Amino acid sequence: MNPRLRLAAPSSLSARPITYGIEQGLGEDRFELTFVSPAQCAQRLATGQADLALLPSPSYRALALAHGLDLRVVPEIAIAARAAIDESDELMAGMWQPSQAYGTIDDWCQLTGLPFVYAFWVGRQGAIGGDEARLLSQSLHQGLAHRRAIARAFAEAHGGDPAAYEQHLVRGICYRLGSDELSGLGALFERLRLAENSSVATRVRLFEFAYAPEKPRPVAWPRPRTEAAERTLDSLLADAAAGKRLSPDGALRLYEDASLLDLGTAADQRRRSLHPGNLVTYIIDRNVNYTNLCVTACKFCNFYRPVKSKDGYTLSRDVLAQKFAETVAMGGIQILLQGGVNPNLPIGYYEDLFRWTKANFPLALHALSPEEIHFIAGIERLTIRQVLERLVAAGLDSVPGGGAEILDDEIRRRISPLKCSTDTWMAVMRESHALGLRSTATMVFGFGETPGHIVKHLERLRALQDQTAGFTAFICWPFQAEGTRLRLKDDTTANRYLRVFSLARLYLDNFPNLQVSWPTMGPAIGQVALRFGGNDFGSAMIEENVVSQAGAVFKLSAGDIERHVRAAGFIPRRRNMRYELLPPPNDPVETWQRQTDETASGRRSDLAQAR
Amino acid sequence: MSFLEIRDKVRAQEPLDFADGVALFQHPNLLELGQLANEVRERLHGQRTYFNRNMHINATNVCVASCMFCSFSRLKVGDPGAYTMSLEDAWGRLRARIEAKDPITEIHIVNGLHDGLPFSYYTELLAGLKRIAPTIHLKAFTAVEIFFFHRHFGMPVSEVLEQLRAAGLDSLPGGGAEIFAPRVRGKICADKCTADEWLDVHRTAHRMGMRSNCTMLYGHIEGAEDRVDHLLRLRALQEETGGFQTFIPLAFHPDGNALRRLPAPTGVEDLRIYAVSRLLLHNIPHIKAYWIMLGLKTAQTAQWFGADDLDGTVQEERIYHMAGAETPQGLNLSEIVHLIRQAGREPVERDTLYNVVAEGDALAPAKPFRRQVPSSLGVVQ
Repeated sequence: MNPRLRLAAPSSLSARPITYGIEQGLGEDRFELTFVSPAQCAQRLATGQADLALLPSPSYRALALAHGLDLRVVPEIAIAARAAIDESDELMAGMWQPSQAYGTIDDWCQLTGLPFVYAFWVGRQGAIGGDEARLLSQSLHQGLAHRRAIARAFAEAHGGDPAAYEQHLVRGICYRLGSDELSGLGALFERLRLAENSSVATRVRLFEFAYAPEKPRPVAWPRPRTEAAERTLDSLLADAAAGKRLSPDGALRLYEDASLLDLGTAADQRRRSLHPGNLVTYIIDRNVNYTNLCVTACKFCNFYRPVKSKDGYTLSRDVLAQKFAETVAMGGIQILLQGGVNPNLPIGYYEDLFRWTKANFPLALHALSPEEIHFIAGIERLTIRQVLERLVAAGLDSVPGGGAEILDDEIRRRISPLKCSTDTWMAVMRESHALGLRSTATMVFGFGETPGHIVKHLERLRALQDQTAGFTAFICWPFQAEGTRLRLKDDTTANRYLRVFSLARLYLDNFPNLQVSWPTMGPAIGQVALRFGGNDFGSAMIEENVVSQAGAVFKLSAGDIERHVRAAGFIPRRRNMRYELLPPPNDPVETWQRQTDETASGRRSDLAQAR
Repeated sequence: MSFLEIRDKVRAQEPLDFADGVALFQHPNLLELGQLANEVRERLHGQRTYFNRNMHINATNVCVASCMFCSFSRLKVGDPGAYTMSLEDAWGRLRARIEAKDPITEIHIVNGLHDGLPFSYYTELLAGLKRIAPTIHLKAFTAVEIFFFHRHFGMPVSEVLEQLRAAGLDSLPGGGAEIFAPRVRGKICADKCTADEWLDVHRTAHRMGMRSNCTMLYGHIEGAEDRVDHLLRLRALQEETGGFQTFIPLAFHPDGNALRRLPAPTGVEDLRIYAVSRLLLHNIPHIKAYWIMLGLKTAQTAQWFGADDLDGTVQEERIYHMAGAETPQGLNLSEIVHLIRQAGREPVERDTLYNVVAEGDALAPAKPFRRQVPSSLGVVQ
């Protein structure tokens, strides 16, 4: 018979349900349990005095880094919580000081929308087999069934209120190590890595057994087996083109089966009935990225720098003043102000900045994406609404729809685990609209998401728009991979862009405006997209720093924009953020016409020279 | 002529006339045009999109012509940037492809009109390439070059072609057609051969049993009438000889040439040219979206606007890159297969004469895009 496995675990209240069954004699021929302090747990595992230890999460990373051990985690069992758990618990006492990497536990949970994983069973590769894993699970299940008894026994031994203890065990802690908790762990280790300025990532590797604990399967959108499957593509397209509401099933069917030109034709028809004047709008604004320091560390981003980075910047007032003055001089009416998520900037920074801008420049402030607003709320301990109210009072005009990527937490956790959840993004937009602010909505695709994810994203936007009518426009573009940590494995070609774009025009029946993305797709496809449902050519951007860092390098002046719009058969008109048409401007269009005339005469003189 | 009437003619497979062509260029609904062109394209080629594995050799950019749209030519030997490859250098490029195990089936050779090279330079160039790779297809010298040889070396066009064929020439590329209409041709490329001379070179080649391609340079100072006139002249010669395989619209690129004040044509204009060409040129089997010039995104989209060919993998393209093309200088097989599959079409590798080399599973599974680093120019003065 094999020698018994030596288990080391803290004797704290929170850990007791995990060890309960074993304490009661479960698998006594297999296990030998010793209660030691959390620090001792790590020590014993490192020195080989224990085969399996219930380790706090940071110790796992420390141990893996310092000793290079091939550590494995027992699946399905952990101490995790969605808020700080009772400080009186000794496992937590002293172990969980607020850290620069994750702040307080409350901060962590609020900022990431992910559970915080305190501890889990760790051993070396091969330390346990499937039978032992099953016994550990049984031990926990017995413990969960006896939480009242555990609380009472703990109160008798250490004093305190057994009801409060029970509450803690039942409501405070979740004893699962599921996909959310694993995402939380991944996010935690990534933060720790950034805080340490280390290049070594910590991977959570599970023990693998023949019985293979059930792997979380990707949530697939069910294939349509509804009336949409029965209908002909032509009738679906005709209805959508006529403005009848498209169901998610119908949208999937169209996305997967309709031809590019049929989708485009329907979207074009829908665009024409919404915008009969044959106008295509654009705005002159400047994209100012006030800081590139960012804690969210999204894998698809080549713009951000970690908080301690030497390449980090926060623009000074002088630089901003110069940029803003240039914008005004070039006919710009708005600043699109977005940054990294910089923890060093309190709400006062933004309030001052906005007031100063409004006092000095005739510029609208289209500023701070939901992620930034949510983060400010977190560090200031304010509600989203309080943050928005203060920013509006300081001069905020509208909220850009960035950071939506794919509004599905399964995808978000993979590509941007530290960014706000779908619900939070939606909540910020809902609050903004409730305060009378207008915003845009975006989608970035090409992360390996399914067509179902795309339709779900559109469905979420459409549903919110039904309630608030606060979105002015929708903009989508494919993931730009150059220089980012995420490998491009998905289809991000022009064909896919035009399909997604046309589908969005048909599905978002309550969005008046669809903006084409020439900065990522290039002027040619941007212009072609005007014939696939687009009615807005975006911005004559005086500056852009984010997608241009990831390989998108196109630039167009207002004159170029007007030329593209006209060549596609439309009349260009300037607008503001609310998509109100501006009177045809005094100079730039005429400047453009003058330039065209000059080009024509230049052409003649070129020809004369050549003769 | 209304669009619906034109559509009926197309569906009845009747040839369109001059007025139809002009009406199509002015038709405001791009997608209607695309749908109709796509009908013809799918009737002729189904879901197939053709490409080949090829390389380009531009042996010299010294050129006596002074076309205003060209950023490639450097006029005289010794001008900054002017180059002429030695024969060894040109042959070495093919050897390098073979050593790299790149199974190319075609070499595309187009050069400046160099008045200091002997005719034997060209025959030796071809013969040497054939010695290295006897089965490779040599698609070389535009009609403008052939006509230049005729003038410069004092031989009839048929004699020029015969001698080149004896040295290894297999077919003619379609370049140099530019715009036939004398009003425009006189302005942008006055010292190139005339429309009739260009057409006559192709007529002669076709009668000798050689195939060729044809082109049109658009997006500079030509109008819709000039374009239609050009397409109909090509169509008339095709009616007579049947020797054209592929029509390739070429977009004017403004950087670095005398017409640089003109803006480049936009995406919608590009797609419109493809669609109208497909509809007017009912007797020319293939329409090629030359990705080097068009960009990968528009070339892919053009597969739904009448085009059925993407050209080839191409190595070291120079002419468009000197005019500011931002495309890579070459694609590998998996990149081009990927691009076609993502367009919703079936990739078919062809040889120059459109015999199928590989299709379906025989083509490597598509891999993610990887841009190639352009190799440096290795040239001799």
